[in-house]
Amino acid sequence: MSELTLLILRFGFLALLWAFVFGIVYALRSDLFGARVRRLQDAAPAGPTGLSGPGLGTGPGPVVAPALSPTFADAPPAVQSLPTGNPVLLQQGRPMATTGSAMRLVITSGPKAGTEIPLGSEPLTIGRSSESGLQIRDDYTSTHHARLLLWGDEWVIQDLDSTNGTFLDGARVTVPTQIPINTPLKVGATTFELRR
Amino acid sequence: MSSGTLSDARSPRSERVRTMRLPRRLRNIEFLLLVAVWLINLAAIALVQLGALGATEPTMLGLTLLVSGLTFVMHLELRVIAREADPFILPIATLLNGIGIAGIYRVDIAYGDSGWESAAVRQVVWTALAIIIAILGLVFVRNHRVLQRYTYLAMLVGVVLLLLPMLPGIGLTINGARVWIGVGPFTFQPGEIAKIALAVFFAGYLVTRRDSLSMVGRKFLGLKLPRIRDLGPILVIWALAMSVIVFQRDLGTALLYFGLFLVMLYVATGRFSWVLIGLLLFGGGAFVAGRTLEYVGGRLNNWLDAFDPVSYDTPGGSYQLVQGLFGLAHGGLIGTGLGQGMPEQTPVAQSDYIIATLGEELGLTGVFAILALYLLFVSRGFRIGFAGQDDFGKLLAVGLSFVVALQCFVVIGGVTRVIPLTGLTTPFLASGGSSLVANWIIAALLLRISDSVRSQPRLVV
Repeated sequence: MSELTLLILRFGFLALLWAFVFGIVYALRSDLFGARVRRLQDAAPAGPTGLSGPGLGTGPGPVVAPALSPTFADAPPAVQSLPTGNPVLLQQGRPMATTGSAMRLVITSGPKAGTEIPLGSEPLTIGRSSESGLQIRDDYTSTHHARLLLWGDEWVIQDLDSTNGTFLDGARVTVPTQIPINTPLKVGATTFELRR
Repeated sequence: MSSGTLSDARSPRSERVRTMRLPRRLRNIEFLLLVAVWLINLAAIALVQLGALGATEPTMLGLTLLVSGLTFVMHLELRVIAREADPFILPIATLLNGIGIAGIYRVDIAYGDSGWESAAVRQVVWTALAIIIAILGLVFVRNHRVLQRYTYLAMLVGVVLLLLPMLPGIGLTINGARVWIGVGPFTFQPGEIAKIALAVFFAGYLVTRRDSLSMVGRKFLGLKLPRIRDLGPILVIWALAMSVIVFQRDLGTALLYFGLFLVMLYVATGRFSWVLIGLLLFGGGAFVAGRTLEYVGGRLNNWLDAFDPVSYDTPGGSYQLVQGLFGLAHGGLIGTGLGQGMPEQTPVAQSDYIIATLGEELGLTGVFAILALYLLFVSRGFRIGFAGQDDFGKLLAVGLSFVVALQCFVVIGGVTRVIPLTGLTTPFLASGGSSLVANWIIAALLLRISDSVRSQPRLVV
């Protein structure tokens, strides 16, 4: 085996190693740059909420920008204009959702209004990431936005430092909060309730 | 996407959500990466042979194929019982393991070992065993939450495994550290398995207790300090770590366990004051140990004055460390080429100093590639923890992957003279069965957790 061949093989091996590393990084790109955002056309006929505008704050951008830019001017970010801090609404005497009283999560507005997820006794993550239990792919949802978890047997909503916030009955959720039954929870442009 | 068309808008307007199955896309990525890994592993062995012997030799190539075959079995298993598992863990683990075997084999050739004398052959056998254990582990642990039930059993197992080397009769002292047990011709380092048991215990314990550890306490200088009585757990773990330093004379293991607990505590409570308290405790303990225990002081001295001729020449001095550094320097940017360096000049070039061996022959470029692989492995683990739903799984994934990261830092940092050298094995690379088994179990657990993260009932809006 000549010196030259060995030299070439040596460089070849290092190149192969690095090619493998970059291969993995390439396969991971959606983790690094965020999941794709829903295109406007399938979101448009969806619902009453203002679901438009390019990726604000969290947006990974490149996928949506051209199609969406015209609507930007007349569509202010709906979520941010919601009233915040209204704890009185929570005290209306609705029973809190527990594993016994809440059997399903029902989407009440947004592109998939009417769909439901059965709630077991396991937590549920909400966000744009493909690993989320409830994956909401609009511009206002953060990659890991919020999660529903159990404290004892009571369902609790926890906001995971999302950019645009999670709203329980109109009030922004700052600390993990118990959820009354049949009360609207809003993440991005999607509203859902926990029901029996 | 997951559900069919919407039923019309009358009455309940609802439909059930089925679990969405992206048909094996992840497994196909994994298969492609695995094929690349098999090629790289085979090429590494062939290059070692070409460089050191001048010709290829079939035995070792065959053994590499055996390892590849086993990883293929594991891949097939994942296709059936953990379809949504992370696709990067298995290829990265296989590649690191394969590169490790090539490095060990390289040193074997230099020593002239063959057959059962050869550490590389033993490493292949251990690899096979470790992969089989990982395969069986995935079959038996179908849901990682089951482990939460055995929180306190895990603690017991962890502590017993830690104490096992202290038993007269089966405990062995190798290179000054009493962390081995020997049964017949086999030696085993039970502490490696103990780290998994302890990670399970910490996760289960912290999930139930973290409220009291994070909610109450006084604010002082901008830090929220815990109550005195909540200091109990951290003091217990600290005492455990210190007793490992004193009685087993193993600095690395102590650092590993204590670091693991500290990070899991921080992740569980989100309070920086715990990290500060822990670092102060460990720093104080290590300082006292450095002053009073001879071997710890010697390690510190070797680190600070490595190139001093006196410490280079004394037995147990910095000879090994400096030889490793010379090896790395000899390798330079692109290395001498596999099989063409002289790693046998460094003592224990196959286990603790495997990174110096590989660094000499693959150069800085190769070492960085290996570090990048570790980085990817650990980041996958953190990512799995981040995306998890249940807190136990989150903590466990973070703990397990952090253990791998910390172990890399302690060993590679020690060899490259960033920190004082302590005896630990480089995960997946170094020669040693217990470490391989433990790390493959970690890989299997991460695969299991990542599968349950993705295969929950899902709805895409």
